[in-house]
Amino acid sequence: MAYILEVNNLRKEFKNFTLDNISFKLEPGYIMGFIGPNGAGKSTTIKLIMNLLKKDGGEVKIFGKDHEKYEKEVKNKIGFVYDENYYYEDLSIRAMRNIVASFYSDWDDEKFNKYLRDFDLNPKAKIKTLSKGMKMKFSLAVALSHNADLIIMDEPTSGLDPVFRREVLDILYSVIEDEGKSIFFSTHITTDLEKIADYITFINKGKIVFSKPKDEVLESYAIVKGGLDILNDSTRKEFIGIRETKVGFEALTDNIEKTRKTFGDRVLIEKANLEDIMVYSVRG
Amino acid sequence: MLGIIIRDISLMFSSRQMILFMVLYVPFLLYMFGSSASEQLYLMIIVLYTYMMSLMSFSFDITGKSRYIINSLPIKRGKIVIYKYLSVFVYFAVTIVFAGIYLWIINILNIANVDYFNLRSIIIGIPTVMISTAIVFPAYFRFEARIAQIIHFIVFLTSFTLFGNAAFAGDKGILKYLSFIKLEHVMVAALVLYILSLILSVVLYKNRDL
Repeated sequence: MAYILEVNNLRKEFKNFTLDNISFKLEPGYIMGFIGPNGAGKSTTIKLIMNLLKKDGGEVKIFGKDHEKYEKEVKNKIGFVYDENYYYEDLSIRAMRNIVASFYSDWDDEKFNKYLRDFDLNPKAKIKTLSKGMKMKFSLAVALSHNADLIIMDEPTSGLDPVFRREVLDILYSVIEDEGKSIFFSTHITTDLEKIADYITFINKGKIVFSKPKDEVLESYAIVKGGLDILNDSTRKEFIGIRETKVGFEALTDNIEKTRKTFGDRVLIEKANLEDIMVYSVRG
Repeated sequence: MLGIIIRDISLMFSSRQMILFMVLYVPFLLYMFGSSASEQLYLMIIVLYTYMMSLMSFSFDITGKSRYIINSLPIKRGKIVIYKYLSVFVYFAVTIVFAGIYLWIINILNIANVDYFNLRSIIIGIPTVMISTAIVFPAYFRFEARIAQIIHFIVFLTSFTLFGNAAFAGDKGILKYLSFIKLEHVMVAALVLYILSLILSVVLYKNRDL
């Protein structure tokens, strides 16, 4: 199968952090959520994919092509949105558009202007005068205006209020529905992904915990609730992470059947959401 | 190349400091050195304008990380460097036109009697700009802009001092010690240095974490 994004054994070493041979694959037409706590390696991975950081090992293929060897070709078909505004703040939207558009072979001005109208962005406005949400919309307008097949987003909803976040997610959803593009979307706000993602890749401390279809992830994990009397050294090992209170415990398991057999009616088993999975996996 | 030049020119017109520099630098030099050393003054204007225009876009990396945007666009790092080196000659041409008009107006208004076109200064100016940017560019392509700026200030102040000495003291100043150097040799040395600097910058920038 031809993957739109393929990361194999990607490695990058820093003084205090190592991205440790991570691998995952994204098929065309799907949204992959890239989750993990702050400092897990999400932004580093995206910077490596975008060749902003130089990798120490492994390979990145985009549209089946090496991302360094065919850098110009693959970046022509990538739309990017970063967690902060890296555009020149002193420039107007129109001036920034003039710079960016000159690099793309397939820039679509009609589409860009439509997005500006839809997002209520004034082309004469200086980027520094825009709110964080408006800057994010401007980044989205740029990312969606050159017929990109892959949209890479690093924490696009971080720092946005729920209304703006929902708007951004709706836009992404319509992009996928109408145009069949693929989106690789990093975030630590997991509720965003439950709405739109098809696949979830979870990274923690520079290592991939899992990379699976979202439904499979949500089906394979569960929250277990029970009294403290059933917890001992042996039963604790059954769980990925436990939170104990004075009256009982709450834990995450990835082996629902075994948990049911072991504890029977003494525990309550509930569906886990992505946040539960991330929090318990990180905290232990 | 066009994208890099559009970016630099857009940034120039968006920067109040750069506009102020472009407008006030000529009157400042006229005030400092007078119009008696017209040739040196013209040389100083075209060299330092070109130098500042060439480096201006780097200064935006001090406050932001705009290099992430440029490097996420469909362009290879090596090309970014090559275009930057080539754009210096475009800015040199722009400077000759800009300075020419500016100084011509100063002449017309009888503010001072200065050269507004001097072929000899232009010929000397080309290797001077090449040498100064050849020293500074690798620093900007390798280090954080804040660190590279230190090297930029050293080059800028050295150039300014040398030009100032030449303008004030004429043949009795620094030029007396440099008179044995032939212009053709300087041209060749500048070209070699510029090419070596370009190669170094490409290698440094290609292997750098942004």
